[in-house]
Amino acid sequence: MNSGLIIVMKQTFRSHFKTRGYWLLVLSPIIFAVVVGGIIFGVTQMQGNTTPTVAVIGNSQVRQVFIHDEKALGIKISKITDSQKANRSLTAQDLDGILTLNSENATLTTQPKSNTINKEAFVSVLGNISRSQKAASYGLTAKQTQDLIQPFNLKSVVKQSNNKSTNGENSDTANYAIAIAIGIITTVIVMWYASMIATEIANEKSSRIMETLLAATSASIQYFGKIIGIFALAVTHLLIYIIAGAIGYAILQNNTMLDGIKQTFSGVTLGFTLYAIAFILIAVALYLVLTAMIASLINDNAQVQQAIQPITFLATTGYMFSFIMTNMPNNFAIKILSYVPFISQSMMPVRLVTKVETWPAAILSLVISFVTLIVLAWFGKNIYAKNVLSYSDDKIMSQLIKNIKNIKN
Amino acid sequence: MIQLTNLNKQFGQTIAVNDMNMTLEPGKVMGLIGQNGAGKTTTFRLILNFIAPTSGDITWNGHPITQSDKQKIGFLPEERGLYQKLTIEEQILYFSELHGMTRSDAKIALADWLKRLDVVGKATDKVQSLSKGNAQKIQMIAALIFNPEFIILDEPFSGLDPVNTSIMMNEIVRMRDNGAMIIFSSHDMNNVTKISDNLTMLKQGKIVLQGGVQEIREQFGRTKVYVEGPFSKAELASIAGVIHINQQGAGFDITINDEATGHQIFDFVTRNGYIPAFSQQPPTLDDIFRQEVALS
Repeated sequence: MNSGLIIVMKQTFRSHFKTRGYWLLVLSPIIFAVVVGGIIFGVTQMQGNTTPTVAVIGNSQVRQVFIHDEKALGIKISKITDSQKANRSLTAQDLDGILTLNSENATLTTQPKSNTINKEAFVSVLGNISRSQKAASYGLTAKQTQDLIQPFNLKSVVKQSNNKSTNGENSDTANYAIAIAIGIITTVIVMWYASMIATEIANEKSSRIMETLLAATSASIQYFGKIIGIFALAVTHLLIYIIAGAIGYAILQNNTMLDGIKQTFSGVTLGFTLYAIAFILIAVALYLVLTAMIASLINDNAQVQQAIQPITFLATTGYMFSFIMTNMPNNFAIKILSYVPFISQSMMPVRLVTKVETWPAAILSLVISFVTLIVLAWFGKNIYAKNVLSYSDDKIMSQLIKNIKNIKN
Repeated sequence: MIQLTNLNKQFGQTIAVNDMNMTLEPGKVMGLIGQNGAGKTTTFRLILNFIAPTSGDITWNGHPITQSDKQKIGFLPEERGLYQKLTIEEQILYFSELHGMTRSDAKIALADWLKRLDVVGKATDKVQSLSKGNAQKIQMIAALIFNPEFIILDEPFSGLDPVNTSIMMNEIVRMRDNGAMIIFSSHDMNNVTKISDNLTMLKQGKIVLQGGVQEIREQFGRTKVYVEGPFSKAELASIAGVIHINQQGAGFDITINDEATGHQIFDFVTRNGYIPAFSQQPPTLDDIFRQEVALS
């Protein structure tokens, strides 16, 4: 690699990496997550033990089954087996509920301050016990009984256009969460780093540092050095989150909430994760290239917001479409947009994970974005070189249009 | 050696540089003078390849200036600019690296430069905390710290007080003595006279005067006389060939039409013997500049 390019890249990276602003940017979401997590933990602790205690009265066999399924039912079975004693404890709010069993029915009595008891789970367990007892009275074998009470297995299958069927392992919640996460990550990173590169270029141009820089290096070295430097900052930013996530995972390994999250996202494969990351990175690079190109038309720092406004709008558009898409994945316009660079990163990974699109289509969308990145980088380099030392009173967009026309000619 | 041959630059209908020819030699200082808009900065921008010439060539030892040549050019732009949030050291090390210097060498050299240029502050101070004069010195250090072979200074003395101007001039002379080719623009003819070996005067993009400073002045003849003594303005004005007289402190500045008139003035003012001052000089660069501008 050209030594000038490495120097510019390193300087761009170093000068931002060492600033308080960068670390505030990186750490604020972590601090926010820790604070929110801490509040949730504190509230849970303050609530004390929320596992409901239930006394099972009337049938010792059934009571044994409930003791066996205690964990699955999320309850604690009280040692009390006497009805009167149980009622006294319930009145004294020492118990959360009394399950009184008769031959044909059961009654669950609770008090106003009882912790929540999962009644559906109770019905399910009691139903199974009832069916087992009835099967025994009909003279069925244990195997027949087990077969009878086996719940019906409903498998979720998504039929794809190429006749290949795969399991839609993720829940709708998980897919929705993935769509939101990819959209937010891309949009937020784009907004942060687009603003950073625009400010950097505007500062160098307005303060005339650019002349000193271009006396030693070429405009293309400055252009690519800055883009790669800022891109490296964005990647470092993501890596810090990945490392923080890994540390958090190691600490909270046995946490029940984390188990739930792991289960929800069990359908997300390594292949998909890599694909989504690649798409996010290409999209960030695309936006940086576009911003650097437009920023070269800025005259002073006051115009930074004016320059990044259309870029922010574009990034937000993709994010908005990702929401629309979750409701109407087969809409033709949505399908087309999932191949359009600058927008596709918010759509195609979600379409892939929800099995609306196949891998070849997903790869095609990624390749289109990558090719656009290469072409735009080359095109942007010419616009940057042409404008970075010229100062025009025209509006930024009209300058850009003029430049595009001139390059075409 | 830098050679500008038949260099032209046109912006639309405006001719910014018109058929310019110039040679810059190692160990020599070229002063570039001209009114605002005469084409001085455009010439620098052409040399640095910030803009492409409409026609003509710029060569360094016979070949076009390459990217690696550019690393050997020290440039001080007319409009100064530094990273306000960086420290002096961070800034200088970055610029030095871009010019092929190692960070460790630059660090050592910086300490020496800060001392020599008498910069008030430490290398770890942020640029935003510096006074204008000190910031200007930092900019000068950035342009010269890597011992460039070719130096371009656009208005290097603007905004400097006489002491700092003198410090900067000493550095330019030092770099020249080390063998650098130097071209600089200035509106202060006094400074141009002091440090320039050669001079190019531009008017509307065209060279109107070029050559050694003394040589150019002599072209105009020794038509300036300064005298001090017991005589009146009216007496001096009565001498044939005297064009203009101006009272200058204890003496008179006299403009004459011909060098020979100086002899008549000398004979007249020394008719009674000793006088404290008599000097017959060619016009100053300032006079020549004004005269050339007036011709337009």
